[in-house]
Amino acid sequence: MEFFQEEEEEHPEQKGCCAFLTVQYYQPYFNVSEDDVIDRIKASFLPFRKDFHERVAGNPDLWGPLWISATIIFLITAVANINQMNFEGQTTYSVDYVPQSAALLYCISFGTPVILTIVMKILGSDIRFFHTVCLYGYSMSILMPITILCVLRNSYVQWCLVGYGMISSSSFLIMGMRKILGDLEQAKRYIIVGIVLAMQFSLYLLYKLVFFKVIEKNSTE
Amino acid sequence: MTDNHQVPFGSGMFQGQAKFVDYAHMNQQEVQVNTLDEPVMDTLLRDINMILYKLSYVIIPRMKETQGRKLRNCKRLDQIKIGDLWGPLLLSLLLAMTLGINSNQSSDTIFGTIFIIMWGGSAVITVNAKLLGGQVSFFQSVCVLGYCVFPINVAAVLITFLQSYLGFFLRLIIVGAAFLWSTFSSLSFMSSMMNEEKKVISVYPIFLFYMFLSWFCIFI
Repeated sequence: MEFFQEEEEEHPEQKGCCAFLTVQYYQPYFNVSEDDVIDRIKASFLPFRKDFHERVAGNPDLWGPLWISATIIFLITAVANINQMNFEGQTTYSVDYVPQSAALLYCISFGTPVILTIVMKILGSDIRFFHTVCLYGYSMSILMPITILCVLRNSYVQWCLVGYGMISSSSFLIMGMRKILGDLEQAKRYIIVGIVLAMQFSLYLLYKLVFFKVIEKNSTE
Repeated sequence: MTDNHQVPFGSGMFQGQAKFVDYAHMNQQEVQVNTLDEPVMDTLLRDINMILYKLSYVIIPRMKETQGRKLRNCKRLDQIKIGDLWGPLLLSLLLAMTLGINSNQSSDTIFGTIFIIMWGGSAVITVNAKLLGGQVSFFQSVCVLGYCVFPINVAAVLITFLQSYLGFFLRLIIVGAAFLWSTFSSLSFMSSMMNEEKKVISVYPIFLFYMFLSWFCIFI
């Protein structure tokens, strides 16, 4: 019940159970300019500074999560196919990466906030859904430079990049939820942190194993 | 009055009903009746002419916004002000088929992916522009985005036919040129509809959209 009351305060003009299916419901979450977006992305690269939270405080946006994930889908498709090219420039083009990466990225960046919100509400914490979606969306932005750098076809380099990405995005998420976690008891905090870390780990593991299988020079394809 | 009531299916009862409808919706019925009687060839030619006319605006991107409006407000013959979706449909089918024919793996996956990216992408970009405060009409925007895929189509067909003569870098140049052409064409129409302060974040998705479609062409 509190959930609906909270959302109704933010959207006083939208009443009814299906307000979230209208386009106007999401209008307040697109009140950003390009400078805001760039600042937020830059802030997400530095997880231990408080910049991001100051910038997002009253104004979570949905533009970032949506289009950062779309950019990453494009980059994964492009780079993974470049990686598949053998040295004469011929390639077996794999278009499966598009639906696979779309499913992976959008499930993690929109599905995990849903899970977290449900769990947090059950545990009695005060969490704002769109703020969490915004946080998750911008945490994906570290995947952009990682994907571009994965053009290098060295297994060790790729694993290092993936590892760095995982540590950076996990710390960003946990720092972002620090205030909410602080209100919970110790044991419950571990549950939430556990969920966050598990999802990030599975994201990065799948990312590396599905899209960036390294092809040896001698193998036939 | 009775001359206009030429209903092709002529049973007495039906004509009686048609007369009743004509009184209520006179103008629409006039237009429909005029086009119902003409030969199929005329209809097809008129639609094809309309598509070609709009394509001529895509081929020569006009950066002045006043000229860009002409495409959206194109009123020819009995056309209504809504953008048409025939052109984008034909172009998307052509692109999906061209890319599908040449692929090594199953062409249905590629066909389906291109189709969904094109139509889903146009829809999402339009909703995005609307949410950012732009004055866009949904179908006009989808129409414009669809028509501006034409240069990418040209590149895909070129690469298909000249496959053996083109190395990777030459393909990159052709596709790059097509991508820039598409983007400038659509910008010339779309920028007048966007919100002034949020232009970059309204336009970036269009850029990404055409980049995505062009990228497929490199790897045929």
